[in-house]
Amino acid sequence: MVLKLLREVLKVGQATVPYPFVPVEVPPGFRGKPEYNPEQCIACASCTIACPPNALTMENDLEYGIRTWKIFYGRCIFCARCEEVCPTGAIRLGYDFELASFSRDDLIVQAEFELAACTECGAFFTSAKELEHVLSLLEQAGLASEDIRVRSAILRKCPECRRKIELARVKPHVHKAFRE
Amino acid sequence: MTDYNIKTDSQYAVTVDEATNKLKGALLKDIQRSAYVYRVDCGGCNGCEIEIFASITPIFDAERFGIKVVSSPRHADILLYTGAVTRSMRVPALRAYHAAPDPKICVAYGACGSSGGIFHDLYSVWGGADKILPIDMYIPGCPPTPPATIFGFAIALGLLKQKIKMIAHVQEVGEQSKLLHPEIPLKLRIEIEREARRMAGYWHGKRIAETFMEIYKIDDTQKARSELIEFLKIQDDERLTEIMNRLEEVYQNWQSVQDK
Repeated sequence: MVLKLLREVLKVGQATVPYPFVPVEVPPGFRGKPEYNPEQCIACASCTIACPPNALTMENDLEYGIRTWKIFYGRCIFCARCEEVCPTGAIRLGYDFELASFSRDDLIVQAEFELAACTECGAFFTSAKELEHVLSLLEQAGLASEDIRVRSAILRKCPECRRKIELARVKPHVHKAFRE
Repeated sequence: MTDYNIKTDSQYAVTVDEATNKLKGALLKDIQRSAYVYRVDCGGCNGCEIEIFASITPIFDAERFGIKVVSSPRHADILLYTGAVTRSMRVPALRAYHAAPDPKICVAYGACGSSGGIFHDLYSVWGGADKILPIDMYIPGCPPTPPATIFGFAIALGLLKQKIKMIAHVQEVGEQSKLLHPEIPLKLRIEIEREARRMAGYWHGKRIAETFMEIYKIDDTQKARSELIEFLKIQDDERLTEIMNRLEEVYQNWQSVQDK
């Protein structure tokens, strides 16, 4: 009887995974810790808008022209929406699940980016890296260099100034149309 | 936008006196005996509870380390707080805390326990166990998998070291992001990504489109095609084959329109 049981036990082997001492195998498609690559990030804020629990946040310091991006893993629900919306692939869910920590601060990753100033009024309006990214996208889309030059002059102005310039440009035409 | 840097709500938070803190430090440093865990559900969705019980099953077997789930806070060394701490569960959570003998370790378990998670800004929620109690350890995850739970306990018991660290990056001079898939025309890239997302859903769609474009970045379509077939053979997934073939169709259509 005992021998039979022993044989059975030997046949089944060990069911327990030796995890903390030996790394555990993670299945493909596992959603682990979002890995952030700040060099690739353009601080466009789409991930912070997509993030359902606001684990990702972004703050603008308009006085010094700094945008701070932040992720707090303690609030992350690993839904991968940030990876999905990221236009440059700067954030990607990895396979790391060993996030336990003694302090709250260790669960934070943050990055600071420069803001671009408007060439007209000098106010900060968007991240400098995002602006460069948009211009290189225009180039990739196959626009003529003359066209890119015109557009980049417009893009380097803040929305407020763009509106003013556009208004000033169309005003005479509108007046003329009304008179007729 | 809510600020998650607020450590505790000092007006309501429980404070620990120095003598207890010292004892707690000693307990955290060198526990040297089995630790009894009491699980406090402060309004969670039960996902965390399922994972806690999964981690004491024979597969993960937390009892190897002497971790035992007990049914009364009076027996507990470790209090495991799950859930976002709803208004009505605050008092029971505090009662469980005061019922447990000193020194005790409080663990915030899951995204909700650590910070309120997706419920952090609801009117009826305190947003995390650390708003009302002194928390010694955070185990994030939604829910934390059994290995993540075991890892948390292993670092609490001093078997392993904490892995995660705070990272702060400051933009460097001349730092520029690279364009993704510069070999593929922008409009074609958009079409491929849309089609992949339509067929496979948001996250998988993006990853499938990425794999496809990684294979098709070379000019030689024939070679890319054979590479794709090889890749699909290794993956051996009918759904993936279907989607990849559809993406290939999109690619071919684009090419034929361009040729005209």
